[in-house]
Amino acid sequence: MGELGKLHQLIIPVFGHNITINLEVVVMTWIVIALLIILGLFASYKRKILPRPIQALGELIVSMLYGLTEDAMGKELAKTYAPLICALFMFLLVSNWLGMIPHLEEPTKDLNTTLGLGIMGFFIAHYAGIRSKGFKAYIKEYFQPIFFMMPLNLIGEVAKIVSISFRLFGNIMGGSIIILVVSYLTYSLVLPPFLYGFFALFVGTIQAFVFTMLTVVYISVQVK
Amino acid sequence: MAIEGAEIVKAAAFIGAGLSMGLGAIGPGVGEGMVAAKACEAIGKNPREAGLLTRTMLVGQAVAESTGIYSLVVALLLLFVV
Amino acid sequence: MGFEVETVIKIAAYTGGGIAMGLGAVGAAIGEGYTAARANLAISRNPEISGDIFKSMLVGQAVAESASIFALVIAILLLFMDAATPSLLKAAAFLGAGLSMGFGAIGSGIGSGYPGGEACFGISQQPAADSQLTTNMLIGSAVCQTPAIFSMVVALMLIFIDFGNAPLTPTWAAFIGAGLSMGLAAIGSGYGGGLAAGASCEGIARSPQSVTNVTTIMLVGQAVSQTPSIFGLLISFILMFKSFPESSMLATPMALLGAGLCMGFGGIGPGIGNGMAAEGAVRWVARNVEHSNELMRIMLVGQAVSQSTAIYAMVVSLVLIFVV
Repeated sequence: MGELGKLHQLIIPVFGHNITINLEVVVMTWIVIALLIILGLFASYKRKILPRPIQALGELIVSMLYGLTEDAMGKELAKTYAPLICALFMFLLVSNWLGMIPHLEEPTKDLNTTLGLGIMGFFIAHYAGIRSKGFKAYIKEYFQPIFFMMPLNLIGEVAKIVSISFRLFGNIMGGSIIILVVSYLTYSLVLPPFLYGFFALFVGTIQAFVFTMLTVVYISVQVK
Repeated sequence: MAIEGAEIVKAAAFIGAGLSMGLGAIGPGVGEGMVAAKACEAIGKNPREAGLLTRTMLVGQAVAESTGIYSLVVALLLLFVV
Repeated sequence: MGFEVETVIKIAAYTGGGIAMGLGAVGAAIGEGYTAARANLAISRNPEISGDIFKSMLVGQAVAESASIFALVIAILLLFMDAATPSLLKAAAFLGAGLSMGFGAIGSGIGSGYPGGEACFGISQQPAADSQLTTNMLIGSAVCQTPAIFSMVVALMLIFIDFGNAPLTPTWAAFIGAGLSMGLAAIGSGYGGGLAAGASCEGIARSPQSVTNVTTIMLVGQAVSQTPSIFGLLISFILMFKSFPESSMLATPMALLGAGLCMGFGGIGPGIGNGMAAEGAVRWVARNVEHSNELMRIMLVGQAVSQSTAIYAMVVSLVLIFVV
């Protein structure tokens, strides 16, 4: 049970502050990126009208996510944002599934990953809002319905980052804690594969989808 | 440490103020929400009377609010007068 | 009384862990039960698409379970954490963390079951709208978990932040008050957000073409319903990070505890009320899309009035913290 709090950290002192890098998370993130790049290369290698299985898989994923983005944002905006949404979903999906492979861990189990993605979504949504409405109208929104609601509106916006990233983090972390505890209690007999099936495959997929859809919704709320 | 009677009264008054306002806020909050829900329903059924319905809703909510204001008054009395 | 500091910390941590998981399981269990009940009803109405309904029920329940998974994370952390610097203050912080997460998971757990149930029932009536219903259910159910996530954040802060050597006497009450303020205030907002999300799924099943309007007004309604829990978060941040001067009086810690209780209980009612207002508005936007602007306006007015009691509660707790 001692594994719960163990982290491999690289600490670099810079100007009196310590920059801490969680090595495991960085390596796992690279593995996810490498897997995705390999999938992308294979899926788009020698494209044909009659697709090979792996090309068909790629087309399936891209067209599904493109359709979802189009439903939420409309045709024009989907052209801009669908690639981002597609990449986000694939990254989260592979990240959440990575824990199933022995010796590998989910990068999304670390709060830094999810918080980083949440902050990225926040900035993209607000940039999109400013670009489509203009700066004045964007600022004006914060003073709705009455001007002294401004601090609350600001907190509400920041709360979105907190909620979106802690939701993913809590679910993945909770799943891996349950798996660890149950494996420890049953001496890793029989149960863990089924637990991985539920928490990594099922909950992981749903939470990746929820994170992606909420990012889409936040962008489309800002744009409208 | 020796706790004196006046000290206990003060402490009880603070807890009491918190509970008074806190529990007192539940009822009006739920009640006013119900009023707003029914007002939405009514406007959905009959959008032409929106102005009248809004006025009625606000009056009803103001009456429902009165118990919340009583608890605010009691809480402030407990804080500053007792 | 010959207790050592370590023993007291362990007692507080175990009690906190028990409270976190015990109370945290209540809400999710009720919510998932509601989803399953509606799914059974739906299958009895339309047995041919039982596969779709079953799938949608499982997805809805998996999302509704999040609140209790958060509670599990906090409970396990409390059971296996060793305090870096053992002090009686840490014991209070552990107890506060347990209270925050335990109470905070109740409302969101119950609430996030509603959209799942309504979506299952909606699929039985309108099988063509399956995908819109599932997407909307996931969004609604995920957003109504936000209060539980706030509670988890407060609990994690209470567990991990090293508060150094703040004076014990008023600060222990501040930590327990912070936990109560966030945990209790999250109940109403979570439940209210669930009501709005459930109504939106019901509405989309009734008129699938109004899906954009319904989702938008659902998100606005849920965001406003979450305001009481944001008040609770503010008060608990103030209680955690304001440094209080040492005092041997009994009144000072009681004032801080009272502030937490006041904001916590005060947030329940407005949260539920705002959720009800949003539920009414969402339900009627689906039936009457042309007038969605009027409905949105009256929903916001009604919610603003119903929120005033939460603002009174916040004022009283700020007075308790800063003036007294």
